[in-house]
Formats: sequence, C-alpha cells, structure tokens
Amino acid sequence: MTHYLSLYGLFLRQRFKILMEYRMNFLIGATSTIILQGASLLTITVVMSQIPHLNGWTLEAIFLIYGLITLAKSINHMFADNLWTIGGQYIRTGMFDRFLVRPVDPLFHLLADRFCHDGIGNFLVGSALVAYAWHALAIPLTVFNLIYLIVMVISGGLIFIALNLITAVSAFWVIESVPVTRAIFDNHLFAQYPLTIYPQAIGILLTWVIPYGFASFYPASYLLGQEVGLLAFLSPIVAIVLLSLSYRFWRFGLRHYAGTGS
Amino acid sequence: MVIQVENLSKIYRINQKTPGLGGALKSLFRPQYLDKVAVDGISFEVGQGEIVGYIGVNGAGKSTTIKMLTGILAPTTGSVRVLGRDPHQERVANAREIGAVFGQRTQLWWDLALIESLNMIGKLYDLPPAHYRDQLARFTEMLDLGEILHIPIRNMSLGQKMRAELAATLIHDPKVVYLDEPTIGLDLMVKEKIRAFIKQENRERGITVVLTTHDLGDIEELCQRVIMIDMGKVIYDGALQTIRDRFGKYRTITLELSAMLGTGDLDLLDDTEIEAIDGHKWRIRFDRTRTSASKVAAHVMNQVDVNDFSLTEPDLTGIVKQIYQGALNDIKVSTGELAQVTV
Repeated sequence: MTHYLSLYGLFLRQRFKILMEYRMNFLIGATSTIILQGASLLTITVVMSQIPHLNGWTLEAIFLIYGLITLAKSINHMFADNLWTIGGQYIRTGMFDRFLVRPVDPLFHLLADRFCHDGIGNFLVGSALVAYAWHALAIPLTVFNLIYLIVMVISGGLIFIALNLITAVSAFWVIESVPVTRAIFDNHLFAQYPLTIYPQAIGILLTWVIPYGFASFYPASYLLGQEVGLLAFLSPIVAIVLLSLSYRFWRFGLRHYAGTGS
Repeated sequence: MVIQVENLSKIYRINQKTPGLGGALKSLFRPQYLDKVAVDGISFEVGQGEIVGYIGVNGAGKSTTIKMLTGILAPTTGSVRVLGRDPHQERVANAREIGAVFGQRTQLWWDLALIESLNMIGKLYDLPPAHYRDQLARFTEMLDLGEILHIPIRNMSLGQKMRAELAATLIHDPKVVYLDEPTIGLDLMVKEKIRAFIKQENRERGITVVLTTHDLGDIEELCQRVIMIDMGKVIYDGALQTIRDRFGKYRTITLELSAMLGTGDLDLLDDTEIEAIDGHKWRIRFDRTRTSASKVAAHVMNQVDVNDFSLTEPDLTGIVKQIYQGALNDIKVSTGELAQVTV
C-alpha cells in the first residue's frame, strides 16, 4: 500500500513536470471546465429568478446539490479520467500490454498514468458553490458536519469512479468504450437537481440502480435538515459495494482481454 | 528449463461483420463468430542462458506466442511455464523476472527525459537505490546513454530510442528477456551496438533471450538456435547451423550468355535447376554437395560462349525464403530428421 502511495506521488510529480512544459495547455484545460460550469450555473440562476422555488427548493439549496455533485465528479475527473481513454489510448495502441508486463496492478497503473488537470476547474467550482450555499443557507459549521461533507464527497467520487470502471471494462471486448461509459455517466445530470422534482422512477433509478443520488441529493438533504432517513449515511457503503463489484468485473474483463493482435 | 511450452494454443474468436448498416445490426443481435487459430499446439523448451531466434512471417503466430510467454494473454489450451510459474496466473511475480521490448512501441514516457523515465521504472520495480545506480552506470557506459540521458524521448532518433528502450527493459536485471524486432529500422552501426549489448548481457549475466526478428543478421550474430513458426505451428526447432547446412547446400550461379537461348536449347547437368532466365542472363541453382560451380559452368561453356558469370553465396534470407515458398512441405517431412540430428 505504501509502495503504491509513493508510486502515485511519483507519477503525479512527473505528470506536473510534463504539464508545466505545456503551460498554456494546462491553463486552458484547468479553466475551460470553470467556464463550462459557469454557463450552466448561469442557466440555473436565470431559470430560478423566474420561479422562487423548485418544488420547495431555493436557488441556494440547488447550488448545494449542484456543488456536491460537481465536487464528486471532479474527483473522478482528476484521478480516474483514463477510464474514458482506456480503449482508444491504451488498448488500441498496445500501451495496455506494457502495463501487463510490469509488477504493479494494471488498474493502478492505468489511473496513475494520467492525472487529469481539467478536473481542477471542476473542483474549484464545486468548492465555491458548496461554500457559498453553506453560508447562504446558514448550515452550522460543526466538526461533525465538516467530516460528514468530506466523507460524502469522497464517497460520491468513488461512486463516479466505480460506475465508470464498470462501463470501461467493455473496452476489453469492443475496444472503444466511450459510448457505453457516456450512456451511464450522463445520468449524473439528473442528480444535479433535487430528485423529488422527477417522476418516482427516476428517483429510484438514481438511488438504487445508477446511484448518483448518493453523491448529491441525499447528503444535501441531510445538511439542510430534511428527513431522508438512513439514506443520508448510506453513501460510503454504496461506494464500497459498487467499487468491489466493479473491481471484480474489471478482473473478469482482464481475463478475457485478447489484445489487438499485433 | 527457463521456459517450458507444452501443447500451447491460442484461438481468437472474431465477430464476423457483414458490410453495411444492416450487417452491423445483424452482427449486433446475431453475432457470427469465426475461430482464428493463431497458435496451434506448439511445444518447446528454452534453457538458461540460451538466445533463441523465434522467426516466422507476419501473422505466423510469433507475437501471440510472446504475449502468452509474457503473461499478457491467457492460453486457450496447453501450458506455459516461465521460471516455474504460470505467467498469466502469476502475472506480477512473473513481471519482476522478465523484460520485454515490443518493436517500436516505447515503454518510456514520451515527454520525460530518459533519466526521469528510468527513475520511474526503477521505482515501479522497487529496485534498491544502490542497485539501480549500479545498473544505470553500467548501461550508460555500454549503451552510450550519456548524451541522451537528459533528452525527452520525443526528441530522440530511432537508434537513440532503441538504446533507451533496452536500458529500460533490462534495468531491473530480468532473467528472461523477450525482444520483438529490436533492430527494426536501425542503421548498421546501431544494430551492431545493440547486438553486442545483448551478447554481453547474455554472456556476463546469463540472461535468457527470446528474439523475434525479420533481420537475419540478428539471428546469425546472436542465436545458436532458431524456432521457426508458420501458421501457428512449429515447423523447425534446432541449430542454426543445421538449417544453414540443409538449405545452404544450394547455390546459384548466374551466367551471361553471348546468345539468346530458349529453355530447351541448353543441356544442363543433373542436380541443377533453372531459377530464372532474364534475356542473356541465366540463373542456375545447383546442389553444391553433388556438383560444383566450375562443373556447371564448364558444361554450359561447352555449348555456348559465356561473357560473364557470378556465384551467389547462400545466406539466411534466401534460406528462409525457400522455406516459406514451397520448400515448406519438404521441411515438414524432415523436421523429425533434423530434430534427431540436433537433439
């Protein structure tokens, strides 16, 4: 474990050295997500200026939900972006074979190979939104609440990573896994808003099938003092269960990996 | 034995696609599979310190075999043991003991200076720092890395890249090394340097090498033994010398005649065969164990004036060509005989 941590640190340092060589690229990547998020936040603000509540949720409360899921997404974006590119960049080119002749876990190697700086922008936007909403909604700044926030954001990030991992495994058969990953990933857009505004089926889908709701709606509800019962504390368990399932599925896919034949 | 391969096969299942959208839909809902046998029941063993040339045409099954030996692919049937381990089942343990060069695919980080890449690899293999420094110093000298240690891989020439690649592959002191086309596209000077390096590592550190190459110079310089594979099957496994003797017994003499003649106009000795006629130039192949160049030439000169003639020495390129074209059936029959000679 310590070996992997120090390896990750090394990969990260080297990655930043490379990024600093392409400074413009780094700045554009890190800020482009901020601009993108800014545009969708502007849309929300405009819509909410016309209606005081969305099914009982104020603009600030929606910002809290939106901020939480943006933070969770940024963890996935920064540390696991290679799950998107495994097919095109690694399997098709034969780079993945390289990982398999090295004495480390190939999934670790894949993820460590590229820290994605574009996620930093998401992280900053998410942090700013949560900080703003926290203040505006007068959520008590207690040690417990802070620990709760950190645990929920990390769990949310792991849920994103686990779902992307499950879909990325399809690359072992079809090589290009992006369409499959996108089909599941895009469901997180629902979870940028309160799940109560949707028909019940979507609420169930985002809680028990593609559980992005645990990255945003349930923690936000708890912080706002709304009654969601045990669901407020379930995120870490959902994350762990989903991660272990997805890692098993990854191992299964790896056994069926046949390379690209050259 | 360092490598033991027994009855090893790899069958790829390929989804057959018919053209057009309709075909794509059809293959989605009713996939038609075609089994492609890439490696077909091969067996061989490689001893410690051997350098074995693993040769065959493209698509013969070389790469698939290497991928099973390195643990990248699982065999469909049969077994592979490398240093007593199943390389696919015990992939990580196997990876510590082996090194692999895959043609022109680099294992180095494109944008990092070579020294940084090597440091990363040292850490990946968890090498003790002192050992790593020793290895680095040794390779820097042997492979002339001094001038390129601080250059990013993306700025290197092909030859520099391959030297860097070899250092990266051997830095963790592997016991078995798989080299897939290590000299492809390189100029002769660099080739020589790389061959000398492989030889020295083999001699001094006893590494076992499996080498796939199209460059017969590599094989002649490095290998005492070759395994030849075609259509997934081993068609020859034995000493390089034997194959050279057997197929090298033919030589070709080229005679430039003073007159244009047809095939039937010239009487030829037994044990000779016309390879080609190009205007005045006749290329005649003969069995040098049964007759000689002077006899063949003299027999022709008795019938027609000869302006010029030249003799082609047998080389491995020609031999392999012979085996691939036609002589294949011949050698299949004689594999047993050859194996008996060498075992």
